Amino acid sequence: MSNFEKVGDGYSLDLTLDEAQILINLVEQLLELLGEGDFFHHYDSNDPLAQLLAMPSEIVTPDDPVLLRLLPNAYADPEAASDFRRYTEPQLRGAKQKNLRLVREQLTVLVDENLGGVIEDLDSDIWLKAINDLRIALSIRLEINETSFETFELLPDEDPQKPVYAVYFWLGWLQENLLELLL
Amino acid sequence: MVKTLSKGEVSVSELIDRPWITIVWDDPVNLMNYVTHVFIKLFGFSKERAHELMMQVHNEGRAVVSTGTREEMERDVQRLHEHGLWATLQRDDKI
Repeated sequence: MSNFEKVGDGYSLDLTLDEAQILINLVEQLLELLGEGDFFHHYDSNDPLAQLLAMPSEIVTPDDPVLLRLLPNAYADPEAASDFRRYTEPQLRGAKQKNLRLVREQLTVLVDENLGGVIEDLDSDIWLKAINDLRIALSIRLEINETSFETFELLPDEDPQKPVYAVYFWLGWLQENLLELLL
Repeated sequence: MVKTLSKGEVSVSELIDRPWITIVWDDPVNLMNYVTHVFIKLFGFSKERAHELMMQVHNEGRAVVSTGTREEMERDVQRLHEHGLWATLQRDDKI
């Protein structure tokens, strides 16, 4: 059973190889959705002024519901929301990518050695945010609501969504486990 | 003679001073303990106050978590979004 533990001033996480692989797959899928590290796909690279000022020229409200939930509108008013997004979205996207990349880095060590094991010295804040973003992403795809746990329990084992629900609830358990150490 | 405002009229100073607010909205995903943790971390609330606001979000669907200038509220919303909470800012509509 995976578990966060407080070790001295830091935190560690014990994962089986299966769990580490599930996590790293999710992290990589979300990084891909967020555009990995490629900020410049937002910019019209042929626009010398946009390049010079590093001014995003093509940032629009995301169509993908997961991206819209992770990078939400800050204003109810569409025009104000769009203006705010133009100036702030690259930073928000970058912050989320950075958390996910750090988590991936620590998971890679376990997965590459083909072993489960303990991740030492993890940054609780980064892991909390990364796990939360993974849960949000899965929740949108699964259309999670207040009764989803009952839905999950009633799903037959052969339902292809069953393992996805299982991962979603496992991540919630994992996050709660870390929060209990922090609060 | 200074005209006094009758009920329902709004003075210029009220309009100018009317603050902006940051609202956190309920969602079925963020764990209660996580929301409390984020409120303590970002706003320096006591555990009790953070818990109270989290319960307000949970039960009433929304809570005002900060008040100030537009720039300050934009910063708060951005920080809440970094933590995956669903937040917006607007003018305080209470006068």
